Amino acid sequence: MTTYLMILMALVAVLGAGIALLSKNAFNKLIGVAVIASGTIPFIAIAGYLDVAVAVALLLPLTTIMILKITVGDDV
Amino acid sequence: MPVPISEIVQILVAALICWIIFILVDLIFALPRKGGVSGATAIGTNIELAGGNLHGGLMMGNIVCSPDASAGTLLAACGVYIAGLPGGLFATVLVYVGNRICHDKGYAGTTGAFFATILITAITSWTVLGPELFIAGMVLAITTIQGISHVHASRLLGKLWGWRS
Amino acid sequence: MIVSLICALVAVFATLRIVFEKSTERKLVYLNLLNFAITGVIVFVVGTMVDPWLAIAAAAAYFVGATLESNAIASTLAQKEGRQ
Repeated sequence: MTTYLMILMALVAVLGAGIALLSKNAFNKLIGVAVIASGTIPFIAIAGYLDVAVAVALLLPLTTIMILKITVGDDV
Repeated sequence: MPVPISEIVQILVAALICWIIFILVDLIFALPRKGGVSGATAIGTNIELAGGNLHGGLMMGNIVCSPDASAGTLLAACGVYIAGLPGGLFATVLVYVGNRICHDKGYAGTTGAFFATILITAITSWTVLGPELFIAGMVLAITTIQGISHVHASRLLGKLWGWRS
Repeated sequence: MIVSLICALVAVFATLRIVFEKSTERKLVYLNLLNFAITGVIVFVVGTMVDPWLAIAAAAAYFVGATLESNAIASTLAQKEGRQ
């Protein structure tokens, strides 16, 4: 059962990488990175490193928000 | 792997219960009236331009941008699955914190989570349904609104909002 | 269990719809659906192996973080549309 879950989550992560690479719009690339993270966090949880999973789940959205603040520059 | 038909039927029943819970609480808190944040308005107007209903689109935008009753119901089901009634109440507190972090002044998420915790604990105590069915049921319920067709879902939500207002 | 499989299949479905959707705002709606499904997958994968409060907090942290991120992207989109 865990094997089926890992295959499906890997598919999500690879599709997310495809979206991030092949999109022209910058916002679509950010959405692609979010999809990659969503596909990878279950792997970390399956391995048992729950605190690492929480760290990634909190740091990655924070990084996206900081990217938006730096590049666009106004209050988000 | 044999597919258990009775469990599929139970999941669909749980999905219907979750759908009713979160749509009712969101309509009571008037989510389709206006966009809570600017992002919700952007999503709502995009759906309206594609042929949908503006108020339905605003509610879908509010679901995306802030934890509302749908998020509350999902996290309440997760809490009850992991730790029973105390888990669901802890999940309600976390949804309240999440609402404040997202600058949302409303209580749709907290109320939805609390109400769902009580309901799911009661149903799992008195019937054969287990709490894990409500997690999958909530995911299926939110798929019907945010996953199939945004235009048609916004029209359905707009019609329900018309009955409320 | 079939319930975790349902959540994972909904996640793949949501990702495919993100790939084939042209409008960025509607990609955000499908991303929200993906977050719901992944929260379910995390809960089933972690289960009761660890301290229960940590498991609920992990699922809630993932979901709130993802909602904050979608909110930020949508707000920036609204700002860019307003300035044009």
